[in-house]
Amino acid sequence: MTTAQFILSGWTWNPVVLLTGACALVIYLAAFRDRRRIGWFTAALAVFLLTLLSPLNTLADGYLFSAHMAQHILLLLIVPALLLFSLPRTISLAVGPRVFSYPLFGWLAGTGAMWFWHAPAMCNAAVASRPVHALQTVSLVVLGSLFWRQILAPRDEERLSPPRAIFYLFSACVACSVLGIIITFSPVTVCSIYTMPMTDRLGLLHIIRTGWGFSPERDQQIGGLLMWVPMCLIYLTAILAQLARWFAQETGPATESI
Amino acid sequence: MNEIATVLGRAGLLTTEQREHWKMAWLSTVDHKRIGILYMVTALFFFVIGGVEAMFMRVQLAVPNNTLIPPDTYNMLFTMHGTTMIFLVAMPALFGLANYIVPLQIGARDMAFPRLNAFGFWLVPLGGILLHFSFLAGGGPAVGWFAYAPLNETPYSSQLGVDYWALALLVLGIGSVSVSINFIVTVLTQRAPHMTLRRLPLFSWMIFINSFLVILALPVLNAGLVMLLIDRRLDTHFFLQPGGSAIMWQNIFWAFGHPEVYIVAIPAFGILSEVIPVFSRKPIFGYEFVAGSTVAIAFLSLLVWAHHMFTVGLGHAVDLFFVASSLLIAIPTGVKVLAWSATMVGGRIRLNTPMLFCVAALVQFLFAGLTGISHAVAALDWQTKNSYYLVAHFHFVFVGLIVFAILGALHYWFPKMSGRMLSERLGKWTFWLMLIGFNLTFIIQHFLGLAGMPRRIYTYPDLPGWGWMNMVSTSGAFFMAAAALVFVWNLAASLLHGKPAGDNPWNAWTLEWATTSPPPHENFHELPPIRSRRPLWDDSNPDRPDPIVGTKWQAETTSPEKNKTAVITFIISESGFFGVLILAYLFYNATPQPGPGAHNLNLLKTGMFSLCLFASSFTIWRSEASLQRGKPRAMVGWLAATILLGGIFIIGQGLEYRGLFQSGVGVSSNLFATTFFTLTGFHGLHVCVGLIALLIVLGLALAGDFKQRHSHALKAVGLYWHFVDAVWVLVFSAVYLLPHLR
Repeated sequence: MTTAQFILSGWTWNPVVLLTGACALVIYLAAFRDRRRIGWFTAALAVFLLTLLSPLNTLADGYLFSAHMAQHILLLLIVPALLLFSLPRTISLAVGPRVFSYPLFGWLAGTGAMWFWHAPAMCNAAVASRPVHALQTVSLVVLGSLFWRQILAPRDEERLSPPRAIFYLFSACVACSVLGIIITFSPVTVCSIYTMPMTDRLGLLHIIRTGWGFSPERDQQIGGLLMWVPMCLIYLTAILAQLARWFAQETGPATESI
Repeated sequence: MNEIATVLGRAGLLTTEQREHWKMAWLSTVDHKRIGILYMVTALFFFVIGGVEAMFMRVQLAVPNNTLIPPDTYNMLFTMHGTTMIFLVAMPALFGLANYIVPLQIGARDMAFPRLNAFGFWLVPLGGILLHFSFLAGGGPAVGWFAYAPLNETPYSSQLGVDYWALALLVLGIGSVSVSINFIVTVLTQRAPHMTLRRLPLFSWMIFINSFLVILALPVLNAGLVMLLIDRRLDTHFFLQPGGSAIMWQNIFWAFGHPEVYIVAIPAFGILSEVIPVFSRKPIFGYEFVAGSTVAIAFLSLLVWAHHMFTVGLGHAVDLFFVASSLLIAIPTGVKVLAWSATMVGGRIRLNTPMLFCVAALVQFLFAGLTGISHAVAALDWQTKNSYYLVAHFHFVFVGLIVFAILGALHYWFPKMSGRMLSERLGKWTFWLMLIGFNLTFIIQHFLGLAGMPRRIYTYPDLPGWGWMNMVSTSGAFFMAAAALVFVWNLAASLLHGKPAGDNPWNAWTLEWATTSPPPHENFHELPPIRSRRPLWDDSNPDRPDPIVGTKWQAETTSPEKNKTAVITFIISESGFFGVLILAYLFYNATPQPGPGAHNLNLLKTGMFSLCLFASSFTIWRSEASLQRGKPRAMVGWLAATILLGGIFIIGQGLEYRGLFQSGVGVSSNLFATTFFTLTGFHGLHVCVGLIALLIVLGLALAGDFKQRHSHALKAVGLYWHFVDAVWVLVFSAVYLLPHLR
């Protein structure tokens, strides 16, 4: 199989994923009369479907740890952020248990998802077992939403103030970088299932190992680096957005008295 | 001696009452202004030493096959020159400037912790003495400023030079962290009313952001130095075969070393952001962008250290990621260069000495950035690494930007510090000598590097072009030496005979110019109203004031409690230290090794002792609650219980150590034992420090000197105690539990 053939044929038409996407769209349309932000929702849906249906998913399914990591980042950081953007600006997220609104809880949800699913046992289980894999996918989107709501809640008053938000994001970046550094430099295999694809059911191994040059060691390195560098750049983007929010506040003549 | 007092008095450095005991007035001072000056004088002293070392090297290199300086001495010279210039000149000079200026700019009386401030300063001379003492103890360090492993290890550097080098850097690192904690707490809690974070002058803002970089990066180096010292003194193998990893040292060093570049560059950016607007008679162009890009630079600088290691062979994948992230730094620095340039466009530029230095710094920094890009690209870096091209590049950063900016700052703020103007004529001489000398020395080194001359060679054969290019470079160094002499002469002469400066000689706009020169002990008698970033402009131009900067965020108008803030900042810094030790433990124990291992540890016993430590987190929390409710006896009881539980834990750890020693497991048995004793030992040390702090609180409480209003002291100690417990959760999981999960 060549790379081009793989990109054309590597799509998986997973009915559960398609159905989830369709249901989400119906719920969105039914729940919100205000459709001005449906563009964000479409983007979230598109990223979600691409992550789980495209060749990336085929690679993540037993072939490449780094592809799994890319999926992980998309589901934890990109999809939930886009979903929160898609909510009308009047929606309050102060529902559910109070603990959901604690910054520490959101922080632990976002960083804990990273650490928990990269414990070797969990990482292997999520590839080997379908139900665990489904649980992982759902948990990433949910935990990611809990993480981002501190920053991206539709209502300004439900978000952290910019200095706190910057601290929140920076420390989350450190927590993920540490794991990324461990994975990059670790002399042991984090997710051993990827080093010995049980059955090369698509005949892809040859092109991955020799065509693309992904040895198992380099694959893990790239996985670690994805978590270390690009993921931190996502947090950095959010930090810059917080700075913009902070400095954009009414710097003109204000009514306040001093 | 009385003449000295009279001279100091005439120079505005002593009040009349202090002339009797002028030495103590300076040596025992806790005033941020005097500490700032002490920092700068110390930096100047070491600048002369580091400069003389550089002159010796340049003279040695002036002609091919020179034999003036033997190779060993030359190695010591470049090691000491680099270490001195970074740790004993650039950092103290910038800390000193910030110490003097930041409290004034934010309208504060002093730093948040004046005595901690004095402590931080006095560690600088101590570190300097330790470093130079190595010459009396058998020879200075000769390993380069980054002391790569395994050259830094006993088999390759058997004299005491490296030990003193590591000790000195450890001491200086602790001093840097303490002063940076002080800056953070000062900016967060000591600002004048209405001086919100968004109204901070850019210099103070950048010192604030930079201090976070210091407290995150320096502990990483400290952890590495501790490991190095353990290797050297206790015969272990962190960075040495068999088992150890020389790359580990490089990772640790550059995880500190790259942020370090920005630790000295960001304050220089702050200086440029103050001086350029004042001498262009315009507010800074894009305050928000200059302030925001500082955050981006600080963030990215922590992320890109591996670009110092492209030639190590980490693999193409690693290189690729770090090429990309390193190149990204060009964006926020480019934003800054644009903002400073745009500030000058259309301004009424006054080319006084401070402005001359800052404009030169801006242009030279642009060159440094461009050659920096060629080091960010791995393929180019392979060609130029460890050549004179690299030497030229980082001297364009350290001298071209930082030294020029510091000189600009000294010419700018000297009138405030002394009450007298520096001579403009001598200042221009300093500038032009420095400009010619610097560029003559270092521009040509780019070409030398491209012609193949490696750095750190004590002499070279007479290859085509090398001789005359080196001669040009050396001749430039003499211009710089002359500039330094003129500058020192200017300082001395102006202190005694300079024109009186008045409060605000440059018509500047920030608060330090709103008080007398030099400022009174308490800094301000009265502050002007603050509602924008340029309070003095508003004050003198009431008809066209700056737009008001709002106070929307509650965090901007209220200040956190200073003890709590300090402890949290300290905890962040300690996390960096323990983070490195834990990562090192995980790295070295990823695969089981022959000899002692986790099977020698008693999980059950240590688990029980650990429960005591975890329980003590609960008791200290109860103690705080009791104090808050006004029940001093319950508070003392819970506090005593905390100390007891902590003591039991320490005894338990002692018993475990004894058991290990008795079964023949020592710190140098194998890497498991080394990392185990290092990690748990440092944790135990922290528990002991926590116990001492708790005992002090207990003593105060028993003496009846502890009221409800002192609750913040107990809270601060309590926070630290929780942190020590939390670290043990991680250590316990990594050392005791993890092996059982395999």
